[in-house]
Amino acid sequence: MYAAMKKMAASNVLIVGLQGLGAEIAKNVCLAGVKSVTLYDPEPVTIQDLSSQYFLREEDIGKPRAASTLPRLAELNAYVPVRNLGGNAGQEISVDLIRPFQAVVLCGVSYEKQVEINDWTHQNGVHFISAETRGLFGSVFNDFGPKFTCVDPTGEQPLTGMIVSVDKDKEGLVTCLDESRHGLEDGDFVTFTEVQGMTDLNGCNPRKVIVKGPYTFAIGDTSDLGEYVRGGIFTQVKMPKIVQFKSLRESLAAPEFFLTDFAKFDRPATLHAGFQALSQFKAQHQCLPRPRNAKDAASLVSLAKKIDPDADEKIITELAYQATGDLPPVAAVIGGFVAQEVLKACSAKFHPMLQHLYFDSLESLPTTLPNEQDCQSLGSRYDGQIAVFGKSFQDKLANHRQFLVGAGAIGCEMLKNWSMMGLATGPDARIHVTDLDTIEKSNLNRQFLFRAKDLGKFKSEVAAAAVAEMNPALKGHILCRQDPVGQATENVFDDDFFAGLDGVTNALDNVAARVYMDQRCILYEKPLLESGTMGTKGNTQVVIPHLTESYSSSQDPPEKQTLSCTVKNFPNAITHTIEWARQEFDAMFVKPVESVNQYLSEPNYLENSLKYSGQSHDHISQIVSYLVTNKPLTFEECIVWARLQFEEKFNNAIRQLLHSLPKDHVTSTGQPFWSGPKRAPDPLVFDSADPTHLSFIIAAANLHAYNYGLRGETDPAVFKRVADSVIVPEFSPKSGVKIQITENDPVNQSSSDPDNVSDLVKKLPPPSSLVGYRLTPVEFEKDDDTNHHIDLITAASNLRAMNYNITVADRHTTKQIAGKIIPAIATTTALVVGLVCLELYKIIDGKNKLDDFKNGFINLALPFFGFSEPIAAAKNKFENTEWTLWDRLEFKNDPTLKEFITWFKTHHNLDVSMVSQGVSMLWSSFTDKKKSAERMPMKFSKLVEHVSKKPIPPHTKHLLVEVMLMDEEMEDVEVPFILIKI
Amino acid sequence: MSLTPATMRRLMREITELKNTPPEGIRVVTSEENMLDLTGIVEGPEQTPYAGGYFRVRFQFTHEFPTAPPKCWFATKIFHPNVSSAGEICVNTLKKDWQSSYGIGHILVTIKCLLIYPNPESALDEEAGKLLLEDYDAYCSRAKLITSVHATPRTRPPEFQTPSAEKEEESSTTSIPVSILTPVVPLPHITLPVPTSASSPRKSSPTPPSQPLQSSPANTLSSALSTSTVSSKDGKERLSPLGTANSNVAGLVAATTTKAVKRSAASTSSGIEKRKKALKRL
Repeated sequence: MYAAMKKMAASNVLIVGLQGLGAEIAKNVCLAGVKSVTLYDPEPVTIQDLSSQYFLREEDIGKPRAASTLPRLAELNAYVPVRNLGGNAGQEISVDLIRPFQAVVLCGVSYEKQVEINDWTHQNGVHFISAETRGLFGSVFNDFGPKFTCVDPTGEQPLTGMIVSVDKDKEGLVTCLDESRHGLEDGDFVTFTEVQGMTDLNGCNPRKVIVKGPYTFAIGDTSDLGEYVRGGIFTQVKMPKIVQFKSLRESLAAPEFFLTDFAKFDRPATLHAGFQALSQFKAQHQCLPRPRNAKDAASLVSLAKKIDPDADEKIITELAYQATGDLPPVAAVIGGFVAQEVLKACSAKFHPMLQHLYFDSLESLPTTLPNEQDCQSLGSRYDGQIAVFGKSFQDKLANHRQFLVGAGAIGCEMLKNWSMMGLATGPDARIHVTDLDTIEKSNLNRQFLFRAKDLGKFKSEVAAAAVAEMNPALKGHILCRQDPVGQATENVFDDDFFAGLDGVTNALDNVAARVYMDQRCILYEKPLLESGTMGTKGNTQVVIPHLTESYSSSQDPPEKQTLSCTVKNFPNAITHTIEWARQEFDAMFVKPVESVNQYLSEPNYLENSLKYSGQSHDHISQIVSYLVTNKPLTFEECIVWARLQFEEKFNNAIRQLLHSLPKDHVTSTGQPFWSGPKRAPDPLVFDSADPTHLSFIIAAANLHAYNYGLRGETDPAVFKRVADSVIVPEFSPKSGVKIQITENDPVNQSSSDPDNVSDLVKKLPPPSSLVGYRLTPVEFEKDDDTNHHIDLITAASNLRAMNYNITVADRHTTKQIAGKIIPAIATTTALVVGLVCLELYKIIDGKNKLDDFKNGFINLALPFFGFSEPIAAAKNKFENTEWTLWDRLEFKNDPTLKEFITWFKTHHNLDVSMVSQGVSMLWSSFTDKKKSAERMPMKFSKLVEHVSKKPIPPHTKHLLVEVMLMDEEMEDVEVPFILIKI
Repeated sequence: MSLTPATMRRLMREITELKNTPPEGIRVVTSEENMLDLTGIVEGPEQTPYAGGYFRVRFQFTHEFPTAPPKCWFATKIFHPNVSSAGEICVNTLKKDWQSSYGIGHILVTIKCLLIYPNPESALDEEAGKLLLEDYDAYCSRAKLITSVHATPRTRPPEFQTPSAEKEEESSTTSIPVSILTPVVPLPHITLPVPTSASSPRKSSPTPPSQPLQSSPANTLSSALSTSTVSSKDGKERLSPLGTANSNVAGLVAATTTKAVKRSAASTSSGIEKRKKALKRL
């Protein structure tokens, strides 16, 4: 990762052609960070450029494109200098100009010129990419030279796992522990550590793998190695891959296509001819084919047929019709993709695309195609879009009302595209945006509408202002909120609010909010556009009322979880110690502190918590410790506390474990207990000179001080001095059976428990004596580098790793794992949002067939594109009526429970066995008679308040109710959800 | 916290089933105010040191449920190798072997089985694990003491006044006595999928009986049960040699859930027919 970033930091990138596509590439490359970005485009800005080039403004018209783009682009990343290569209008790029660069990107340059430049770059070790977008079509070509070395083709973590045997023979069969799948493929390479017996394998040169089964693989001749005894870990070694590129000249004749849509198998060949034909057409006519002009289209077809007689006429005709088209979403898709290819060229990380990509989204065209008249250029900033969709569709866009949920990475890109598209610019149309977050430093490298000066401001407001600046027609058309979506804000996002929407777009970073918005869209029957990214992976989903399934209809498989005993006693990987450290963080600085506050603020807290006798003793003694016995009055006492925590966690606990399970312990089958995945630990002896030891003391003391509102300290000398002076009580392991017992011992809680609960409670000051006194629990925040949170977790995890002889991890890695951070990157985000907007065109057009829509899955690392038709909403049958998740049963006038139950019986002969609303169980067949009798005559509004013990908010006009029904044969009968108007 | 309506419906169905026809020695306590506030009560199995005790198991559901398991812990103190002092439980079923088809009942039955067959090799309470390995009698007395102090109420929890499903079916020829003192007869045919889902129009049966064994490749039913044979003096014989806590449990869960499924089939009017069919396919 770092090596790749270093390489990127040494690369100078040239981008030629600064219309929408070039600007999108430049933006993403700048955000990612390279040594420098240089622009070349001396042509004057036209009004049409504003169709998709969001760094240009109306006042730039007539000025050179590169020069006008530069200042706004340069703001994005202070570490990436952006330069202008200059030139005069009419002057094409030439070989002389590209010599100083490691990577060159040509956007919208003629094929003749591309070949000329590429002939030189191919010979001279310069990475070459050319790209072009025409309406709903896009094309990319890569040539990273005849011998390009790719160091990490997938970007995935190297595979690793424990092994239980290695055969000593010609084949060298390796078997994995506990039948865990190794995940390797033929041709992968591995090395080993910690192998006992066959020690030559430890740190051996990478050995090539032949997969024998899911749990076994062969590594070749091991017969001259030692005899395998036990243990060992294999680790995959990523081997560089040599990729051979053809030059453009060769490739045009014998192209290798990268397929973007498996449903369009023949299209790359047609478009390969089509794009070349366009280049010829332009050379002949000095202009591109006119929008929807039949004559121009016919001549393009004949040019294309000369290149490839099999080229699909219909597609070529459409390419001609849209040649002057310039769509922001297509620029985003191709621009996001190309930027990642630039980064691959610079870093050698991830596998480059081979070699020609052709993309189209013809499905986005309106069902009723526009005519030539409708697509005429109007001298407006939307000309690029009008050329494809026509003026009447442009008006539809202007009157469309969307609700954007989230203004983070996806939200920023979405708003940028919408502003370019002219969405909601009509007199009565509005875009609603909500995001409760304020801008943080870590957002700036991908949420490109935010600048350092905006830190601390609300995302929704800054983003809205930024895109209204890009397209002034949006001024006053974006309504911003800082409300999170959820039950608590249903008074804001209420029936009237949804009635004023045409659709919802999610730009969220968590599943819970996605699920919630999905439910709202089902209730209000609004189309929903959903998307998400994870590193280089991204996906998009379209949800159309009464047509497709909804977001929640399918769930992603969750991460496999680690067993708690592995975390608690038997860690064998750094992820285990990090998870442990994260739990200890809560156990030291959050949970006991919250308990103290609850004790102080909630009447009868102890009585309530005593309900479950089992855990109350520990719980109360913790409150006593934090509130009485170990309450610090000075910061020095916090250091002492931290020192004792160190002793307890990294010495005493380990000694206790080894006391119970000594290192030479053998299991019932005679195997050493501490073997395989169980690594025998060693206690640590505190040494203030060890930086990891001291960093734990510093972080723990500061966080403890934070709990008590004491001022912190960071001078290591202070910690060293105090920690060294602490007198640590001698530890002796608790013997196995603490309490001597016989069968006849009296069974009595107070006598068997030396520190019994009532004695403990006596030590607590009554809450009334501490009115208003509260401790401050720590709220875990990974992104603040001064709050000691990640420091604590890193130190604790590494100390534990030292206990168990596991390789420690640096702060950065620890933060990534503890914060479950999968970096969001600008390239993937731009591409995914482009795909979403291509679906939005379809929604605005009112398309209503499944095969009109596409869900997308991409992985830029491989690279991979996949599209699929959305899945139809599952049909259920209730009596003779088919229904889907979009249907509902409505009850008006707030019926009583009895009326409700009777209705199902008399109309459908169904017995209600349970009724629920939200998480409340309103009634069930096992509700006792007295309660039933009480509830039957209640109206639903009353019933809900009665059971949930919460008043129904005044804005609530209906209740969503779920019911379980049984027919005469006692079989469950599924019915649509129930809406009760109150 | 909001779960999808489909998940809520599933929970409703499971709760109803657990209330109406609970598995032997297992009950659930629900809160009408909040269905997600769910507590299971596991009766300490006879002839274990937990007999006479009633152990409360708390559930916490995340929005990932049911693709991810609920959080689940003992709220009643227990001396057991696979339960930590904070009540955490170390079972594969609740972690890496979780399947979205598993339900609350399945988890509780798994936990009950864990009380019968502890696995000291994957100890969360290493003291209990060590004791179990080295001095079975001492482990038993300690566990009994803790059970009597913390888990034995003066009167049986009222939830247990409703009879469990097994009671009604005790005469059934296929019911397996839950006893650890007699070697349990291996019933390998039970590992086959019981075709209730095929013969019943239910969209999803909460605990498809074929699942538990698939998830835990180390265990075939027969090995789990036969290695679990108890001899009261030599503790070592009781234990299966490897694996996490589930190793010892999978077989019994299969047996118990199979019963549960049959029971639900039997409760329908055409249930007997279905059961016959199901048995034929076995």
